[in-house]
Amino acid sequence: MADRHIAPDTPELRERWDSFAWTKENAKKADWHIAKYPEGRAKSAVMPLLDLAQRQVGEETDTQGWLPLPVIEYVAAYIDVPVIRVLEVATFYFMYNLVPVGKFHVQVCGTTPCMLRGSDDIISACKKRGMEKGKVSEDGLWTLTEVECMGNCATAPMVQINDGNYEDLTVERLDAVLDALAAGEEPKEGTQEPGRHTSEPSGGPTTLKEMVDANHDYRGDW
Amino acid sequence: MPKLTVDGQELEVPEGATVLQACELAGKEIPRFCYHERLSIAGNCRMCLVEVKPGPPKPQASCALPAAEGQEIRTDSEMVKTAREGVMEFLLINHPLDCPICDQGGECDLQDQSMAYGRGATRYDANKRAVTEKYMGPLIKTVMTRCIHCTRCVRFSEEIAGVDEIGALYRGEDMQITTYLEQAAAHELSANVIDLCPVGALTSRPYAFEARPWELKKTLSIDVSDAVGANIRLDSRGREVMRALPRINDDVNEEWLSDKGRYQVDGLTKRRLDKVFMRKRGKLAESSWDEAFKAIAKAKPGKNVAAIAGDMVDCETMFAAKALLGAMGSKLLEGRQTGMDYDVSNLAAVNFNTTFAGIETADAILIVGSHVRWEAALVNARIRKAVKNGAQVFVVGPKWETTYPATFLGEDLSVLNRIPKALGDAMKKAERPAVILGGAALAQGALGAGLKLVDKFKLVKDGWNGFNVMHFSAARMGGLMLGYAQKNGMADVVKAKPKVVFSLGADEMDFEPFVDALKVYIGHHGDKGAHAADIILPAASYAEKDGTYVNTEGRVQFAEKAVFAPGDAREDWTILRALADALGVSVGFDSFAELQAAMIKAVPALGEEGLADFGDLPKADSKAKAEGTIAAYPIKDFYLTNPIARASATMQQCSAELIHGEELAEAAE
Amino acid sequence: MAFLGKIFTWWNGATIGTLLNSWRTGEKVGTDAQGNTYYRAKKTKEGARERRWVIYEGANDASRIPVEWHGWMHGSFDDVPESNLPPAKIWEVDYTPNATGTADAYRPAGALERGGKRAKATGDYEAWAPDS
Repeated sequence: MADRHIAPDTPELRERWDSFAWTKENAKKADWHIAKYPEGRAKSAVMPLLDLAQRQVGEETDTQGWLPLPVIEYVAAYIDVPVIRVLEVATFYFMYNLVPVGKFHVQVCGTTPCMLRGSDDIISACKKRGMEKGKVSEDGLWTLTEVECMGNCATAPMVQINDGNYEDLTVERLDAVLDALAAGEEPKEGTQEPGRHTSEPSGGPTTLKEMVDANHDYRGDW
Repeated sequence: MPKLTVDGQELEVPEGATVLQACELAGKEIPRFCYHERLSIAGNCRMCLVEVKPGPPKPQASCALPAAEGQEIRTDSEMVKTAREGVMEFLLINHPLDCPICDQGGECDLQDQSMAYGRGATRYDANKRAVTEKYMGPLIKTVMTRCIHCTRCVRFSEEIAGVDEIGALYRGEDMQITTYLEQAAAHELSANVIDLCPVGALTSRPYAFEARPWELKKTLSIDVSDAVGANIRLDSRGREVMRALPRINDDVNEEWLSDKGRYQVDGLTKRRLDKVFMRKRGKLAESSWDEAFKAIAKAKPGKNVAAIAGDMVDCETMFAAKALLGAMGSKLLEGRQTGMDYDVSNLAAVNFNTTFAGIETADAILIVGSHVRWEAALVNARIRKAVKNGAQVFVVGPKWETTYPATFLGEDLSVLNRIPKALGDAMKKAERPAVILGGAALAQGALGAGLKLVDKFKLVKDGWNGFNVMHFSAARMGGLMLGYAQKNGMADVVKAKPKVVFSLGADEMDFEPFVDALKVYIGHHGDKGAHAADIILPAASYAEKDGTYVNTEGRVQFAEKAVFAPGDAREDWTILRALADALGVSVGFDSFAELQAAMIKAVPALGEEGLADFGDLPKADSKAKAEGTIAAYPIKDFYLTNPIARASATMQQCSAELIHGEELAEAAE
Repeated sequence: MAFLGKIFTWWNGATIGTLLNSWRTGEKVGTDAQGNTYYRAKKTKEGARERRWVIYEGANDASRIPVEWHGWMHGSFDDVPESNLPPAKIWEVDYTPNATGTADAYRPAGALERGGKRAKATGDYEAWAPDS
């Protein structure tokens, strides 16, 4: 799958990020996360804290955020865990970005159901717009990643852009979403199929039809 | 005590045992890669699959499955056989077939187990995974493409060494074992991961491409780099010791070895004394045994002769020198080269009474003046185990990096007179309290004050003796047992103004006061002692002679000769025996066996391998007071504590890179 | 002197007898770069192998026959080598006879003739010297 690697440890990286520290709100949030666990188990909070740090980096750089080494070290020091243990977590999970990403991190699902429903077209549509896998586009807006199943198989194909899922895509619908994002708008998340609400069967329910309007007791029918 | 059957054989296993252990108790061999007795259970190699009923109808990883009442375990069924073959095949998908150029070849778990349990051929023709090289320091060579992700090294550094530096990055097939930013693994036990690695991913860098295991002669020996007396195996080829590996001894070193004990052996071929040297007109020049013996006889020492034992000599050498001096009428024997003068009238008071295995069970430990990590790295691992079981540790002395939580009580020894509340409470609560006095404390004369703690903390109980002294010279306890101690230490020897001083590999001593004496250095490495000597008689190192060593817990252990000493060098006792003839006295032995018999007659405890019994602790002197501060620990550089290590290129590199690395980097900037 | 040598010694070139025999029964085929002359018998019995021989220019050393003539000598081909073999490549080095026993013979790195400095081997040690 994704070819992941840690961003190299350069003096420039150190210079840029050595001063990283929680903002006031994030410090409060971090402590709230740590407080969820018993005394002395602060290291359990490593995952929410890494996510928080990534988001803070995102805010500072106006992108989706990533985890430079100094930031990982900061998180490790914050919960008093050896850095290597935190780095293990950060490299294990794909939602922690190890290299800079663009403002919109377009994660296209390429697993079987989405592939059968045309995720290949979605990817080539993305590429046509100048996105490249694992790279930030020249305007700094886009990063394309092919990911594995996001659990939206009923509404395949789908992409996850930042924190929102966009489902039931076609190339045109994707273009509309991306154009809207580029224009600074907030396109509707979820399914893009007109008339569909969530992941209910397209074309109306085929079973449990009586349940559509009101609760129905099926037990008598068995 | 669950009862279960293994391959139809009924047996009872201890509570908490795993299925794998149950199978081993039944005498069945279970192949494994990730499972290791001394590490936590990971269960990620899947090699130990067995069939267990009741349970799901599939093979189960026996290392992580608790043995339970009524289990029917099969290790010989078709299912187990095919499961092992399958796992083996999976492991070999990405493992390179580079055995001919791999240093692990011949002692590789993967090699052995694929021969025993594998299919013999692969069905995969896809490309293998390749992993970039990782740097892990001057001792560990890595070829990470060979890694099978057993994570033994990760667990070792986290659990045993207590230095979290190795980790597994990324996931799945892309998982890579590395240190943070590929920094060198910098702790005293780092090289043990080489032994742990079941494949050739982590191999020994100094030993890289030196020899194959089957061409090596294995000799059982004892490590002399510190006073732990780790059991080692010296692997030699021809006349050279190629490497040292730990032997399993649960009482001493478990199965670990400090990096110094492991890698100082390349110093055995450097700076060797292989000829007799004599000082002529102020310069050392080559000479002959005859000439040297005549010169010593010409000095006519009579009774005015002293012997100083070095840190690495065996008991036999010390006894031979004692016999020689005894025959000449002298008792000027001393082994505490740096001038320490603690009371040795009762050896129990200068012994590690708790034993290494015992210190694991202590629940409160006070360390006074000992940098345990450097003075006895393996004991430090034991203390870490105790801490993991809930022990509290207090340290008096300058700060050092402990591998466990410890409270530093400052450098002032007077805290022993007025016990701080935290320490007092912890000791009072403790069922098995222990005190460890280190060399730095002994040098400050804190032994008396330390003994007072025995009553105060109730260190001695039924089946428990918590009073310990930690030495760091392999020869120390043996020397003390043989009477290598003057009342006022080296000062007494200096005051006696000996005409001839025999230095038995003593390199840390001060030769200044003996400016008028004839200084005879009997040793194996050209170090400080050789430079200061008037006559150098080349002798054998620990690898080149049989010998008895006593570690700091009073454990008598026997080491065997692995190789011959180089050049003209002779085993130490033969030199001393020949000297007896030259000086016209009789020492009463003509062979090594006779020497040993005489030694055992004089000190019976040296004849029995195992803990020597020193009796009860002496009564503490109520007037004893701890005074002074511990400014520094005696060991300044872990890797360069003895002449062999100082001669070793590997140890020099370790010292430069791991201890002085930061200074070097700063100097470069 | 040279004439007497030709009669009685056999180790430099051919003796008078061989030269006479070659002139009488042999037919010259060619010479190689070193000047060795190659002969074949004028008459060959039915069914027998053709006799071929060489008269050396200098020392009688069989290894002086270069590879291409070696093939002819051993009956690998019948015509002269030049007509049989591909032209020499530019990267081919000149043929040299076996140097064993001569001053040009190969000596391993540790040989005394090459300074006696061998590579490090097991059991080697570095002795201490007082001024080190």
